[in-house]
Amino acid sequence: MIIDMSNKDMLKQRPYGTLDLLVLKTLETMGEMNGYRIARRIEQVSGDALKLSQGAIYPALIRLEQEGWIRAKWGISETNRKVKFYSLTKAGTKQLEAEVQKWEQANALVARFLEAAL
Amino acid sequence: MRWRGRIERVLALVRGRRLDRELEAEVEAHLEMAERDARKAGLSAEEARWAARRRFGGIEQMKEEHRDRRSVRWIETGVREFRIAVRTLGRAPGFVVVAVLTLALGIGATAAVFSLIQGVLLTPPPYEDPEQLVLIPSARTHGQQQESPRPWPAAQWLEWQHEAKSFQSIAAYRWTFNFLILPKGVESFQGMGVTPEYFSVTGLEPVLGRAFTSSDAEPSASRVLIIGYELWQRSFGGNPGILGQTVRISRLDAPFEIIGVMSPGVRFLPAPSAAKEPNYDINALVDIWMPLSPGSDPKELKRPRWNIVGRLAPSFTPEQAQAELAFLTQRQAQADRDFAGFTPKVQSLTSEYNREGERILLPLFGAAALVLLIACGNVAALLLLRGFGRQQEYAVRAALGVGRAGLFRQASTESLLLALAGGALGAGLAFGAVRAFQLIGGHAIPRLDAVTTGWPVLLFGLGLALIAATLAGLFPAWRASRLDPNEVLKGAGRKSTVGRGERRLLRAVTMAQTALTLVLLVGAGLLIRTMINIANAPSGYDTSRILTMSVTSVAMRGSEFHRRALERVQALPGVQHAAYAWGVPLTGNNSPERVIIEGQPVPARASEATELPLRSITSGYFEMLGLPLIEGRDFRSNDADDARPVAIVNQAFADRYFPDTATLGRKVWLRGPDEPHNTIVGVVANGRTDDLTRNANQEIYVSFWQNETYSKHLLIRTEAEPLSMASAVQSALRAVNPYAAVEHIKTFDQIRDDSLAGRTFAMQLLVGFSGVGCLLTLVGIYGVLSLSVASRRHEIAIRTAIGAERRDIWTLILSDGLRLIAGGVAAGLAGALVFSRVLRSLLYEVEPNDPATLIAVAMLFIGVALLACWAPTRRATRVNPMETLRRE
Repeated sequence: MIIDMSNKDMLKQRPYGTLDLLVLKTLETMGEMNGYRIARRIEQVSGDALKLSQGAIYPALIRLEQEGWIRAKWGISETNRKVKFYSLTKAGTKQLEAEVQKWEQANALVARFLEAAL
Repeated sequence: MRWRGRIERVLALVRGRRLDRELEAEVEAHLEMAERDARKAGLSAEEARWAARRRFGGIEQMKEEHRDRRSVRWIETGVREFRIAVRTLGRAPGFVVVAVLTLALGIGATAAVFSLIQGVLLTPPPYEDPEQLVLIPSARTHGQQQESPRPWPAAQWLEWQHEAKSFQSIAAYRWTFNFLILPKGVESFQGMGVTPEYFSVTGLEPVLGRAFTSSDAEPSASRVLIIGYELWQRSFGGNPGILGQTVRISRLDAPFEIIGVMSPGVRFLPAPSAAKEPNYDINALVDIWMPLSPGSDPKELKRPRWNIVGRLAPSFTPEQAQAELAFLTQRQAQADRDFAGFTPKVQSLTSEYNREGERILLPLFGAAALVLLIACGNVAALLLLRGFGRQQEYAVRAALGVGRAGLFRQASTESLLLALAGGALGAGLAFGAVRAFQLIGGHAIPRLDAVTTGWPVLLFGLGLALIAATLAGLFPAWRASRLDPNEVLKGAGRKSTVGRGERRLLRAVTMAQTALTLVLLVGAGLLIRTMINIANAPSGYDTSRILTMSVTSVAMRGSEFHRRALERVQALPGVQHAAYAWGVPLTGNNSPERVIIEGQPVPARASEATELPLRSITSGYFEMLGLPLIEGRDFRSNDADDARPVAIVNQAFADRYFPDTATLGRKVWLRGPDEPHNTIVGVVANGRTDDLTRNANQEIYVSFWQNETYSKHLLIRTEAEPLSMASAVQSALRAVNPYAAVEHIKTFDQIRDDSLAGRTFAMQLLVGFSGVGCLLTLVGIYGVLSLSVASRRHEIAIRTAIGAERRDIWTLILSDGLRLIAGGVAAGLAGALVFSRVLRSLLYEVEPNDPATLIAVAMLFIGVALLACWAPTRRATRVNPMETLRRE
């Protein structure tokens, strides 16, 4: 029960779905990758702007997989271990496009507002 | 794609372990890679390990979120709560057994009656859109009852077919009974003669072959028939090559070609004019369909021979159809006086179909629901008490931070679990009960053979379990959640008394149970009195030691067979009397005829004729049944075709038509004024031959040898147990004619019991239900009073210490119990006055508010309930004041 609450709080701390979007975008640009590489890539691109525990990537991955936007298959890591490699599905590509469009629209709207306010 | 996510999440519940393992593997790989990268960046092994961990974040927290994200959280929480509930309940097996059994009794009773309702009332007949179908029997225009509804002449319904706008189609049909002559022997069958429209009206289609076309019905056409699915399976082994085969039928010369096999489960449409035939069974499955046509002979077209079924046109109501047909019929009556006097009575097929079942099943369902309510009351009381016993536990939990919602959820999960177990067990009980019902109630409820138990019953049982859980568990759970932990924990030392509020509540529950039980008991009492009244009713005849069977001479001239067979049977050792009869009492069999009686005006129209039931018997029949001849003589074996026609009437007939003059020697015309009359040669005492609950009708008996019938009963009075003679009689009959069909071998007592089967079944079930209700309520009373004694120990000890006698304590506790019982009994009697009315149609010579029954039932229950009070009261008198007071 207690853990339940804290999870909900954690989700609230960043705009919901941001991480999902970043993962999808990463897979679109980079192709098939394992969880660690996805996390590293997001860290590198965002620099210090995004405070993210690498572990947070996994709950996002399982959800995206369940939605059918990404698919996972087993492969071998650089350290010679069994690990899941994720790649974008067709539905995922479509979802990404839709999400990006939504972001852009929202950003444009907010930007116009801020300009008008100035 | 959302649905996919949902499905995956539910699946994830099942796959939980595997997903956890996979995640574990991924995390390890992740850490290793991160460590390797950190080493590459120049950190030491130790430092690299820690850096990797740090960057990863909380592993356990992440796993929890992973689980959360991938699955449906509330289900997992629910599962956990269920596990806890199972474990907690496991610690109180006695409580669980009592609660589950109690619920199972209530749920089982209700689900069993429900499965009858489901099979008999809720399963529609296998016609297409059966609610559009209507039956069109006739009624007399001046409202007078008909002994047997007159069927319709073809001339009338043919015009309806053409002109009535409110019908899509109209078909005519007749009921028939005959024998198939098969290589393995003769087999009786019931069939329907139908006009070809029957198939378009009902929407029935054969599973094999084809339906009738209008050319099949023409007189010149070759003879064809369709057989019922069940007959096909039973007598033809389900042979797929059956089409084109021919069968022979008794009394019909040419063979019939089988052109179709009907879909399964098709039963008769009511043919009221045939209802008094000896083998008529409207609830039977149809064996054979034959095509019929009204023909074109004008005299034949005017003969009333047809029953009518119609399908309403879309958006027409039965009322509109009624109005239209009444108009058409009135016009016909004006054009032709022969049609006058009868008007159509449009009836919905489904309501007609369900009438008898509803009459018995709906009150029984109500009774079963009361049993369930009583059971819920007991379980609620048990849960409340258990909740009280666990106040400490709840308080500790509350103090540890479990919220009200949590406590409520836990308590209600337990009751839900109990109810589900009770529901499963109850459904099992219901399965058994339905089998038992089918054994004891075969004649009580139509189409009981079609009742099956299956998923609907199980689901209904579980649905009831949910209701029961709510009824029994909601309040105790609410109480649990409302506990003030401070109060409870402060008072931890003294926990042997139940709060005043709880005790009052339990008393209310018990009173309500008592009231419901009283309602059940009054219902059972009324039906028991009905059965006693019927047993004592003056039937006028004696049914004991009589063997009956229907005997038909197939493939041999009737008359010769009848005489030789009767002689042989009479000569059998152990046979006292033997007689033939068409119209054995209580079988529903007789022959309603329009008769003309000497001295009475000859009716101008058919609809005004006097209709009386005729029965055809041989000599010795009255003596066998113990019906005394009051005047004149019995039939003789030479009252045969060559002698003058004779008749015997009953006392009611003589009183009605010849109150002041001699009856003997009077004339009656049984077949119209132009045919020879019958002379009355005897008057016999009245007997309740139609229905044991109704006074004797006026009756006419004719000599069997002057009116031989194809179907008939053979009655045999035996010296020993009647059924023991059955095989000897059968072989005697077969010796005369190897093709003689001998069917429906029963004792007369069985016929009598069958005629009362509906009431008997209702009584047996109500007695059973009220027994269960009574037992549960007594347990409740016992429990409440025991609790009351336990929480008043202190008071009792003080009273004893200051000098109260043992007798005073008895009075104190018993009067407490009596108040409880009396309150419930009073409420129950009030309820019985309201609810017993639903039984009215089943009762005989007892009113639903019969004071004697009400008082007797109330006294009986109070007496038994006081017995339940006895043990707690005794315990109260044994309270040792010194010990009790010292302990506190």
